[in-house]
Amino acid sequence: MNLKGRVISEGNAEGAAVVLDSAFSWIGDFDAATGNLEVKGHPLQGTSLAGKILVCTTGKGGTIAPFIAYQAKEAGKAPAAILCDNADPILCESALVIGIPLLDRLTPSPVKSITSGQNVRISGDEVIVGS
Amino acid sequence: MILTRQEEAMARGENGPGIKRCMDILVKFGKAMGAERLVPIASAHTMPAEPPELLRKLTEGVNATGTFTTLHALMDAYSPENCTRMGQPEAFVREEGERFAQRREVYLRASFMQTYTCLPMLVGNLPRKGELVSFIGSGVQLMTNSLIGARCNRDGTVISLASAITGRTPYYGMLLDENRHGEVLVRFEGLDPDSLTKAQLGAIGYHLGAVAGSRNLVIEGLPADMELDRLKYLLAPMAVSGAVGLCHIVGLTPEAPTLEAALGGKKPAQTVTVGKKEIGQCLGQYAQGGPEVDMAIFGCPHCTVTEAKYLAGLLDGRRLSPNKRLWIGLPHQQYKLAQLMGYTEAVETAGGVFASSCMAAIPSAQLPEGVRVVATNSFKSAHYISRLSKGRVKLLVGDMDQCIAAVCGETWRGGQTA
Repeated sequence: MNLKGRVISEGNAEGAAVVLDSAFSWIGDFDAATGNLEVKGHPLQGTSLAGKILVCTTGKGGTIAPFIAYQAKEAGKAPAAILCDNADPILCESALVIGIPLLDRLTPSPVKSITSGQNVRISGDEVIVGS
Repeated sequence: MILTRQEEAMARGENGPGIKRCMDILVKFGKAMGAERLVPIASAHTMPAEPPELLRKLTEGVNATGTFTTLHALMDAYSPENCTRMGQPEAFVREEGERFAQRREVYLRASFMQTYTCLPMLVGNLPRKGELVSFIGSGVQLMTNSLIGARCNRDGTVISLASAITGRTPYYGMLLDENRHGEVLVRFEGLDPDSLTKAQLGAIGYHLGAVAGSRNLVIEGLPADMELDRLKYLLAPMAVSGAVGLCHIVGLTPEAPTLEAALGGKKPAQTVTVGKKEIGQCLGQYAQGGPEVDMAIFGCPHCTVTEAKYLAGLLDGRRLSPNKRLWIGLPHQQYKLAQLMGYTEAVETAGGVFASSCMAAIPSAQLPEGVRVVATNSFKSAHYISRLSKGRVKLLVGDMDQCIAAVCGETWRGGQTA
């Protein structure tokens, strides 16, 4: 299956998907030292985002987030790319400063069409979802 | 996006690799936000918490910021002069001290002004009505739009840093006339606006932020001569429980001489009334502990010399009980003034510490050991300290008198509503 969308931060990446069916925050939902998702009570609690393709609806949370993302990137714990329905300003800033691909306004919606663990390859404005 | 010839040269790297990296971020970010161009900014305000390596990368080859730039309050409440007296853990002080020294080298080289306050307008960074700026800090962004009438987006740390270094920012959002009109109209019911305490004003702001989300507010019925020391407690929480960027106060906000002007001639999308019930509900969220209180925290947003004077009066002849703490966020320039005026001695003799640091974004690991219950007059402090400790530290919101009494031998007498 292929998805097409808007490229906010460009690049190519490939990895296993981690699908969060909600908005993602670098503060509170994520531990920059371990790279793990920390969404209390969520089935993916404790899942590592390091080198993965993070799929979420949008971003949320505080203005210091881009610095947290940068710390994770330096520690090798940042996701390899982010796909979402609508990127908020903080998610855009974070992806741009750490230089990972960020795509939004994808058809079909990545949150609905990708499941966690599936292999995802990003090439330009195209997203190729394998098994 | 259309760039000027000079901006194109900056983006190509003709002004050095730091400027090139900043332009790359600003242009891509601007495109995502639908901006058609960049605009020069009158001044900037950035967050002194950068990963040192990132700060060096973005300022490589930069000898001066692209516009007058001040620095926000020191984060995690770190204060190079005061951390020992504040009782902060040694390992944190050592590590943060190293990072601070690396940043400071860049600040000196590239003339970032070391103001260390969340109220840059108090210390020389005061834009005029209609000027465009890029300021970090959700509270000062809201105050700049609402009290000064200068225009500011809710930029994050990297966009404000890149804007400071280049002197430019994407032209979108709150910088445009069409996005500045009021959407949610607020009226008071059964309240006397003149006699509201700072804790009550904070409760109103905390309630309204949750109602408004990211929409612009309009408040009718507040006195037009309300001073900054009261307004800041009302406004700051709106950008904490919500993401409000502009709150028109009719008769006081430069763009809101009348209700019609605030609404841009349109009808409000929603009208809400606020009374004693809403204030009580918000105060009730921060009645988490007591009657024993370990620590009092003031200065979110930063205190002014006037509040330092008030605290000196409250603490004259009193002492903090053993093992109790008192931190007060005060810009170091205002501290100097307070010292000249004789307001600091009583507070420091009693055991209080003034610091030019952030009194909201304090992870529990950076609080002195053994602190379990904190009393504050700030909803913003209460919200963030509570969440950063994942609920381990209990928060109480009340007025300065109540907080001081609770660390000077009396038990907590909170729970007032209106």
